[in-house]
Amino acid sequence: MSFIKKIAATMMAAGLATSVYAADYPSKPISVVVPSKAGGSTDRTARLFIDLAEQNNAGFEFVVKNIPGSGGQKGFEAIARAKADGHTIGLNFTPQLVAHIVSGRAKYTLDDFHIMGNVAQDPGIIAVPKDSPIKTMADLAEAAKSGELTVAVNGIGSDDFLAAKSFEAVAGVEFNLLPTKGSTEQKAGVLGGHVDASFMNLSQMIKQHSVGDAHIIAVLTAERDENLSDVATALEQGYDVQMSATRGFVAPAGLDAEIAAKLDGILAEVLASEEFKANAAQGNIFLLPQSGTDYRAYLEGLQAETEKVFEAAPW
Amino acid sequence: MEHIQTVFSFSSLLTIIIGTIAGVAVGGMPGLTATMAVGLLVPFTYTMDPTLGLMLLGGIYCGAMYGGSIPAILLNTPGTPAAVATAIEGYPMAKSGRGALALKVSVIASFVGGTFSVLILLLFAPVLAQQALKFGPAETFLLAIMGLAGIISIADENSSLIKAIIAGLIGMIIAVIGTDDMSGSLRYTMGVIELIDGVDFMPALIGLFSMIQMLELAGQKTHKIDTSVLNQTSKKEKLPKGISKYIALGSGTGTVIGVLPGEGATIAAFISYNFSKRISKVKELFGKGNPEGIAAAESGNNGCVGGSLVPTITLGIPGNSVAAALMGAFIIHGMIPGPELFNEYADRTYPFIISMFVANGVFLIVGLTLAPYLARVALVPPAIMVPVVATFAVLGSYALNNAVFDVYVMIVFALGGLIIKRIGFSLEALILGLILGPIAEGGFSQGMIIGHGSPWIFFESTIAKIMWVIIFILLVPPLYSYLKTFVFNKEKNA
Repeated sequence: MSFIKKIAATMMAAGLATSVYAADYPSKPISVVVPSKAGGSTDRTARLFIDLAEQNNAGFEFVVKNIPGSGGQKGFEAIARAKADGHTIGLNFTPQLVAHIVSGRAKYTLDDFHIMGNVAQDPGIIAVPKDSPIKTMADLAEAAKSGELTVAVNGIGSDDFLAAKSFEAVAGVEFNLLPTKGSTEQKAGVLGGHVDASFMNLSQMIKQHSVGDAHIIAVLTAERDENLSDVATALEQGYDVQMSATRGFVAPAGLDAEIAAKLDGILAEVLASEEFKANAAQGNIFLLPQSGTDYRAYLEGLQAETEKVFEAAPW
Repeated sequence: MEHIQTVFSFSSLLTIIIGTIAGVAVGGMPGLTATMAVGLLVPFTYTMDPTLGLMLLGGIYCGAMYGGSIPAILLNTPGTPAAVATAIEGYPMAKSGRGALALKVSVIASFVGGTFSVLILLLFAPVLAQQALKFGPAETFLLAIMGLAGIISIADENSSLIKAIIAGLIGMIIAVIGTDDMSGSLRYTMGVIELIDGVDFMPALIGLFSMIQMLELAGQKTHKIDTSVLNQTSKKEKLPKGISKYIALGSGTGTVIGVLPGEGATIAAFISYNFSKRISKVKELFGKGNPEGIAAAESGNNGCVGGSLVPTITLGIPGNSVAAALMGAFIIHGMIPGPELFNEYADRTYPFIISMFVANGVFLIVGLTLAPYLARVALVPPAIMVPVVATFAVLGSYALNNAVFDVYVMIVFALGGLIIKRIGFSLEALILGLILGPIAEGGFSQGMIIGHGSPWIFFESTIAKIMWVIIFILLVPPLYSYLKTFVFNKEKNA
């Protein structure tokens, strides 16, 4: 069954359900927990969703609740802890959601969530300064043999960090790893030539790549990205390193089945709409719609992968 | 030309005026910050005309940076850390009935600093951004050290040098709490999830200044403000001669530091303040209400506004947290920072930049008009003032991250701060250590990694060498004079 068909089926299921479930849902505005600051990309994703969800569903009102800090952990815990009555949903982002579980810091597990579905991804990339002699993954592996290659990642335990560790394992090299506080420092490091390479995300460098201020040597997804079709994936270049930051919707586990289906349906409907696609494209958000089942499988796989990295080099 | 017309249309002007006045109010209230206001309004501007939306946010940014100085002068409760230096000079002036003059100096300095920096942004943004890129982690470390040198300048007037340095160290030690960015391990968080990101300096600032000030006010037997002076001089006192030198100094320093990454405004205000003290002919008046210090600090922090937008809109590297929130507004309208902003989106970018000249003009008019009236805030009896400000302090601390924990942080800092203030330690030095400690630490550890473990990197670049010279100039003369008096006193006693 294709994804579109799945969406259609979910929507129909949701439509049927409308007539059956408790008449008093929703009895108040639904809180959407955003585990990051207002104005950031996760926050924007939430608000684009709310715009259309309210338009499509009369009687539904959504209110954003920003709970920033600690790499999303505070927000994720707030969602997991919330009453499972369908009046709290929230955004999650990877790999932080599972990284906090793996590092033993989270009070939640994946089972504490009802996974509604994925919305967007920001593919991992490897960027180098514009004049860098490193043009391919092979160059990168070669240059890293000295052990002197300074490579920036956005903090320990981040998607960049996991990707860099994964590359180190695959290529049998070791970087001089530079953890930064935020992608801004990474960007400044690459543009200013202070680092030799940086593992980061596509949205952070796509403009700089297109105007020639920096160079993206590989995309860390299974397929080439449609926004950057001239850049080969790491896989194509012979290095199986895959990493992507995903952003999806979750709710506390234990929802009434009908309410869960309704919420999943609202999300699927928004994701399928042309208006949402256009708004997302304008806001530099790369969509990757996934159903709840598929997204849960992805999260479980990611958790297993992250565990391996953590065991080798805990933080 | 058409860009100027866009700015002077009725709807644009109205938007700028609303944004700027809202910004002044936001900057003036403890706990409300420009970062928060811009962040919250970014999604709101999504449904607005992009140009108007950006003008609104630009107005808030300009207004808030100035607004922080009003409570700093009148109540010794700086609304932003960038206004702490202003409070050191402004509050003694307000206490002696010269509040209106202090406010006037502050608004004029803010206006000049802000306008100068926007002019630089308009004319030289792309060139300057390329220069700013040369500024790496090693230079960031040196910049933080330059800011920390401000502790010395606080010291020799308010309290003893040793005590000021100890207070600065206490601030830096508190800043150690949280995640170690280099290893990802947690330091002294004691299993408290709220401490993973470390101690937020905003609730600390509110506790150390707003709350303590209110506690002290509440503890006074009589409320002593010399009202006779206030009435005499509120409108008449002219700007001190030679103040333009300090405004120019602050504007230049602020703009340059604003272009660089990091929490520029605080560093810029303290470095400008420190510079002004070095060149002043009346050094002994610093700390007792010298308008020269206000002029330098305020033009310094407002100079950061235009400066911080230089790397933001040309490279997508925001100069500070407000600029980062503003960048979100550009992106939401599909304006990804880069050269496109100056050609494809020129009809939005240029009106936005030009609108900030207007915003600076708006707060100048508002500030000058209101100064004599605002100065009378000092006459409000403590019975009204204390509960109102204390309420704002609690609400503001909560509103920062929607977290009750921050309220506790604020209270702990208020109580702890009260004790160490009473035994003669400088709270300004403490907050400076708390804010700049992590910046220094990050720059140092990243510099060491980039330099493969060799400290030579901190001396390598031309910028670094120049910065060492400045640090030397800032540190050595005051140390020398301190040692001289120390030795002199010893001889006298012997």
